[in-house]
Amino acid sequence: MPDRTLAHDWYDGVIPDNVVFDDTNFIETSYSFRRFRSRAKDALKLGRGAAIYSNSGFDLGPDARVEIGDFAMVNGAEIVCDESIRIGDYALISWNVLLIDNCRAPRSAAQRRAYVAAILRNNSRAIGFQTRARPIVIGANVWIGHDCVVLPGVTIGQGSIVGARSVVVESVPEFAVAAGNPARVIRRLGDAH
Amino acid sequence: MPSNDPQPPVNVRLGQDSRISGPDAFKRYFSQREIGLSVGERSWADGTRFAVGLDGVVVIGSDCYLNDCVLLAELEIRIGDHVMIGWNTTVSDSDFHPIAPAERIQDAIALSPLSKGTPRPSIARKPVIIGDDVFIGPACTILKGVSIGAGAFVEPGSVVTRDVPAGAHVRGNPAAIVSADETA
Repeated sequence: MPDRTLAHDWYDGVIPDNVVFDDTNFIETSYSFRRFRSRAKDALKLGRGAAIYSNSGFDLGPDARVEIGDFAMVNGAEIVCDESIRIGDYALISWNVLLIDNCRAPRSAAQRRAYVAAILRNNSRAIGFQTRARPIVIGANVWIGHDCVVLPGVTIGQGSIVGARSVVVESVPEFAVAAGNPARVIRRLGDAH
Repeated sequence: MPSNDPQPPVNVRLGQDSRISGPDAFKRYFSQREIGLSVGERSWADGTRFAVGLDGVVVIGSDCYLNDCVLLAELEIRIGDHVMIGWNTTVSDSDFHPIAPAERIQDAIALSPLSKGTPRPSIARKPVIIGDDVFIGPACTILKGVSIGAGAFVEPGSVVTRDVPAGAHVRGNPAAIVSADETA
């Protein structure tokens, strides 16, 4: 069981108790956990050799679970999760990527008015305010370019690439290249390569 | 008000229980209008940057929650009540530079260290109007001249280039109305 304070950390914080990691992992800073509120058991699990670099953030609601696979790299992405986000083995997630399984804002304008009022009253985000989360699954060996947004309910199949600054609104098949806003499949990758 | 909130410039009118926080809120605020920024009651602009030009005005209603977004106003940005705007969203009412190549050269010269006060050429600008109860997700871009109707929902990462009808649900670049089957 590794130390929950990081020797190299510039931020005076600790890794929450329900984060599962070991000596094969690299976590650059505990600042990534400043919005971590999950109380779920094993709320964040890091696979063998997975790395979380600075500017990454885990904005996790009370019941959120995030799994990050073996040798996966999260290089400065923001993960907003109220239910479940799974990132497969060898996945490469670039900087300023936003993975969000719940927009946390009701679709109905009348309900949204109450939601905004609750945030302002509490001086904090009213987490999981009656909006349904839809899990995100990022397959193994997926590469997501910088500044992408992955919206709730999206699955990205293994081996696929998402071009920089794309917004992924619907699922991407395996071994494809998707790009654009909204992202469309623009190429297939041979799975033999 | 917590003491580390920035001191608003004199031509900022902040309604009761409204709050502007974040160190860079007024770093690029240059409005010379009588009121350059007006905020209603109980609204919170948390980390919002008000990049307001000499002639620019920003009007924000009551009960709004604006996160780390950027409002670039050379003319007018008007935001209704109960509006929510997510982080990394940019709202702009101008094109920043002229479209015509020759005028753009003039602008580059006027902006350079050698300009000695050369006036900039005129730049296209049109007001941006955001209605009551609008939600704008993180990482969106709202371009000049756009009106977003009351109650509209703008998905994260959208680029809004044209008017959005009241109550509509839009996404994409350019943002388009999401059809009923896609929302299911």
